[in-house]
Amino acid sequence: MRITQGIEQSQFLTALNQLESNISTTQNGISTGLSFSTASQDPVAAGLVSGYNQVLAQSQQFTSNGQSAQGSLNIEDNALTQAQSQLQSLRDLALEANNATESGANLSAIATQVQQIQQTLLSVANTQDGSGNYIFAGYSTQTQPFALTTTGASYSGDQGQRQVQLAAGQTVVVGDNGDLVFNQTKTGNGTFNVTADAANAGSGIIGATSVSDPSAYAGGSYQIQFTAPGTYQVLNSANAVVTTGTYTNGQAISFAGIQVTLSGTPATGDTFAVAPSTNQSIFTTVQNLVNALQRASTTTQESTSLNNTIANTIDNLDQALNQVQTVQSSVGARLNTITTQQSTATAQQTQLQQSISTLQSLNYPQAITNLDSQNTTLSAAMQAYTLTEGLSLFKYIS
Amino acid sequence: MSNVFGIDLSALQAFQQAIEVTSNNVANANTPGYDVESIDLATAPPQSAGGLSIGAGVAVDGISRAYSQAAATQYNNSQSSLGQLNALQNYTSQIDNLFGTTAGGLTTALQTYYSAWSTVADDPTSSASRQALLGDATALAQNLNSTSSQLNALNSDVNTRISADVSQINSLSTQIASLNQQIAGSAGSTQAPNTLLDQRDQLVSNLSQIAGVTVTGNTDGSINVFVGSGQPLVLDGNAYTLTTVPNQFNSSQLEVASTSSNGSSISSSITSGDLGGLLAARTQAIDPALNQLGRIATAVTQSANAQQASGLDLNGQLGGALFSIAAPTASASSANSDTTTASVTLSNVGALTSDNYLLSYKGGAYTLTDQTTGANVALTGAGTTASPLQAAGLSIVLSGTPASGDQFQIQPTAQAAGSIRVTLADPSGIAAAGAVVSSAADTNTGTGSIGAATVVDPTNANLLSTATIAFTSPTTYTINGAGNYTYTAGGKIAANGWQVQISGAPATGDTFTVQSNAGGTGDNTNALAFANQQSQGYLSNGTESISGAVSALISGAGALAQQVNTAQTAQTAVNTQAQTNLQSVTGVNLDEEAAKLVQWQQAYQASAQALAIANGLFTTFLDSVNGTYS
Repeated sequence: MRITQGIEQSQFLTALNQLESNISTTQNGISTGLSFSTASQDPVAAGLVSGYNQVLAQSQQFTSNGQSAQGSLNIEDNALTQAQSQLQSLRDLALEANNATESGANLSAIATQVQQIQQTLLSVANTQDGSGNYIFAGYSTQTQPFALTTTGASYSGDQGQRQVQLAAGQTVVVGDNGDLVFNQTKTGNGTFNVTADAANAGSGIIGATSVSDPSAYAGGSYQIQFTAPGTYQVLNSANAVVTTGTYTNGQAISFAGIQVTLSGTPATGDTFAVAPSTNQSIFTTVQNLVNALQRASTTTQESTSLNNTIANTIDNLDQALNQVQTVQSSVGARLNTITTQQSTATAQQTQLQQSISTLQSLNYPQAITNLDSQNTTLSAAMQAYTLTEGLSLFKYIS
Repeated sequence: MSNVFGIDLSALQAFQQAIEVTSNNVANANTPGYDVESIDLATAPPQSAGGLSIGAGVAVDGISRAYSQAAATQYNNSQSSLGQLNALQNYTSQIDNLFGTTAGGLTTALQTYYSAWSTVADDPTSSASRQALLGDATALAQNLNSTSSQLNALNSDVNTRISADVSQINSLSTQIASLNQQIAGSAGSTQAPNTLLDQRDQLVSNLSQIAGVTVTGNTDGSINVFVGSGQPLVLDGNAYTLTTVPNQFNSSQLEVASTSSNGSSISSSITSGDLGGLLAARTQAIDPALNQLGRIATAVTQSANAQQASGLDLNGQLGGALFSIAAPTASASSANSDTTTASVTLSNVGALTSDNYLLSYKGGAYTLTDQTTGANVALTGAGTTASPLQAAGLSIVLSGTPASGDQFQIQPTAQAAGSIRVTLADPSGIAAAGAVVSSAADTNTGTGSIGAATVVDPTNANLLSTATIAFTSPTTYTINGAGNYTYTAGGKIAANGWQVQISGAPATGDTFTVQSNAGGTGDNTNALAFANQQSQGYLSNGTESISGAVSALISGAGALAQQVNTAQTAQTAVNTQAQTNLQSVTGVNLDEEAAKLVQWQQAYQASAQALAIANGLFTTFLDSVNGTYS
């Protein structure tokens, strides 16, 4: 092959450019610590890293969502604990008032205490978080949810439950609306409720009630009617007689799977209504108690009515406590879910960071070795060029 | 005796010329396009003297240049291919650098935007997080705008370079035509016009770098040069100019036309050389990147605006649009024979592609061709407002019946990335809350519970009206007193554009309400749905998320750049080989010239010596004659 000086030079220049560009790429990698800085250097890895980075950022956002949810749930947890202790105090006061020896003055003092607790309970139900949002208002967090009325309290919130995303496809409820916590409390024993007729003249007081035979219980309303002292009949909603019996103080009356214990001496014509439980606001229960305590209870009829109201109130308070505890245990379960999810997310983030680093981080020993060998090649090429260029026949012609 | 002088003289003259040729080779060792020349020596016709034939010296037949048509053509073709790749590589690497590993910061901007939605979901009433969301949405839109304008700048650069290339081609063609005339003029002379031929070869080589050409020779020594699919640039002594014309659909893009093609574009036939590379950069790298970016911008806009419309803002109103964006464009060809226009709207983001389409009307039928794949796309509809043409997630309405042969180019997303803007200015306008909220009456005695209501049709006029679902029996219910629907536990109940699920066993008389969520400012249902969008399959009929489309954009641009880089490296090697081949025939080797110089010098010295000897002989003879007669 005939080689000309021109081609030698041009080839040397091309090679020189290539070598210097390689050195520049390697150098750039070493100074940034990245194995590639543009997608063309490794299109597949660049696509993967972009995807991983987005999943990573999303996961970090989930962690921060979880922290925010933990904050909200802890506030709710505290509020619920407080609500429970207030309800417990109410129950204690109700028991105290139930003592037949209590005088009118004492009862009125108890009523005042109950009213104070009602206020505290109201402030618990209107708890605000650090940003001023009402935590028991459902979605209507800017609206104060509860306000006292003559019959209990009105609810201005809604039944919304805010959710926060913990992971792709996994959300957790961060709030429970006040309607669920404070209003949807069942009356009576949670299944049915027994009330004494206001016109009862005897001293019949409602005691324990229960479903004795769930298979026989079919809901529905009944009336226990005393046809004579010591004799009762039970009517269903169609006024048909379900059963009749002889009344013994403190002994259970059973019918249709229902068991009701009455004590005292009901008069002829006294009735006790049995109806399926309905939802009743805690505030209504408390207000009923206050109303009953404030009424005079000098006659037998009045004190029997008071005792029956207190018995009902205690039943309702037990249901309310049960409801608040249920909500609180669900809050606890959610907090656990978040904690579990947080540790899963942390592990996932570590894994992702590792994957990104594996794809993107420069292998320093290799890069430095490459740089060294590229430098050697460049200086060798330069030396070789000067050597060959120095060769010319013209040098020897004199 | 006089013959000796003649022989020596011819030798001295020939060797002197040979030294001149060699010196000229040395002088032009670095002249581009110079082909090494050599002197052609031949013996002069012999003379007969007394039955003997004695040579009459040396004659110079001519000076010929070393030339190989095959090597030159191979080199020129390789120059064309390399020129194309160099031009293309310039743009693919610029896009590669522009995108880097984050699509120019798009991945970060998109992620920040979605995170901002999550932060709003964490505390929907916080005006700080709402303001931050608007800021992040603006940053996302600006990122798309700026990347798009940088890509558009590359397109203008392509236009400038196409114009420059075309004027250079025209200048080269004119020079070749003029050299053709001079070369043809010297046809018939014994000495070939080497310098003119060298110059013309060099011009053809320069031309090959700009656009691949085909060269044919004529008997008078002139050549014809053709470009593209046979459009003449030079025929004998005549040059034919190329011009630039606006693209028939898009006047902002220049195309190449030839005077012989009556001004219509020949761009598609120019596939090599710098010009071929520029045209390829536009169709293979810049426009697809703009379209893909636009598709992402469209998806961001559509998803945000649709979600906004399904929720309530802080003022209890259905959310307004968060982003605005240019609609898909439909441009009529400048060659259309009437003024029918087409308008395109987006009907289904899921079916949206990043390709451009060509809508043709011929013989009473419309055809739609995907310009990237070249495939025909099935069309439905008639092109009227009542029945728009539907394909590829687009709906196309024409202003009338086009003339047969009319064409329209449809660019679904080309303008999108450049035009996306945040239109929502008031942070309280962010629709974080769901539009409707469901509730169960506290007086319900059954165990039925109602789930969250979801909006399925935000355009329903009664969406925010209060609706009561009342159970007339444990298995039947009415909605607002109407109907007598059968209840299935867990089944979906839909009305007024929402959908809700009731489960459990409701009792007769139980009621559930679905009503406007106005006042539900603490609700984050809609913001949560927003934050979820990033990982949802929103594009490609539900198989590709917006984040996925960004990753695909990055690796797509990277893969193209890598492919072009690899091809360029390979072609550089091929070109070096072709250049070496050509140079090994036509180049000047200085050592070779040095050897020749010595050779000619020695021959010259020998001839001079021979002349001296002849002179000596003649003097001897004269001296002896003088001695006899003196």
